[in-house]
Amino acid sequence: MLQTSGLWLALATFLSIWWGHVGVRWLEAHSADIRPPMVILIIAGLILNVAALFAPSIAIGGVCSVVGISLWWDAFELVRQDRRVRHGHAPANPNNPRHARYLAEGKATLHDPLDREPSDPSEAEQPTVRERNPELA
Amino acid sequence: MMWEGLAIGLFSLGIIGFGFFWVIRMEYYLGYLWWPYPLLFGIGMIALSLFVADAGWSALLGVTGASFIWGATELKEQAVRAELGWFRRNPRPKPLPPFVSIIRKIKAPHL
Repeated sequence: MLQTSGLWLALATFLSIWWGHVGVRWLEAHSADIRPPMVILIIAGLILNVAALFAPSIAIGGVCSVVGISLWWDAFELVRQDRRVRHGHAPANPNNPRHARYLAEGKATLHDPLDREPSDPSEAEQPTVRERNPELA
Repeated sequence: MMWEGLAIGLFSLGIIGFGFFWVIRMEYYLGYLWWPYPLLFGIGMIALSLFVADAGWSALLGVTGASFIWGATELKEQAVRAELGWFRRNPRPKPLPPFVSIIRKIKAPHL
């Protein structure tokens, strides 16, 4: 019989990482204040990790803990995403008052700097975007 | 109490941390066009986890496999980050992966 624990843990890990990227960006962009979602993520992570201790199987306990720990990481990631937006490394949401303030300060951008294709890695060195266009970088 | 679940959670934190390390190194030395190889390696680990009798080891293989699949999706964005000057960029041309003509036809995945 196949052992499906690994498959469940793989799904939990990948979906947690996916949410950590896509969901955290969305949450940060739509929260005027990131502290309430941070508190919710920390509490949810704590509940899941405590639940992991009382889980009936390794697979269920592992899924609870993987998701719980990734929610803690996401709480920390909200701060890092806020910093990325402030420095223009991620697009700002002009409808979010916090982002609107960053845009007014002049460093934030509406453009996603990562939304581009990289150059061919087999070619010799080309100037970085920062060297070609410091404002964009 | 079931400590194994918590241990798997902590392991996932460590293996994802290791993912940041190898993605940066792999993009620096090999380039993002190698993305299908960690992807296939991750899928292989998850497939292998189905045939491991012990649930704990199977879980660790599954977590590791998923983190390699995620790493494969990060390589392209890491290449862009290096081009933007946010990370150190390798000035030398990078080796092309096997089957590069097929890889170039597929859009590199990213989250």
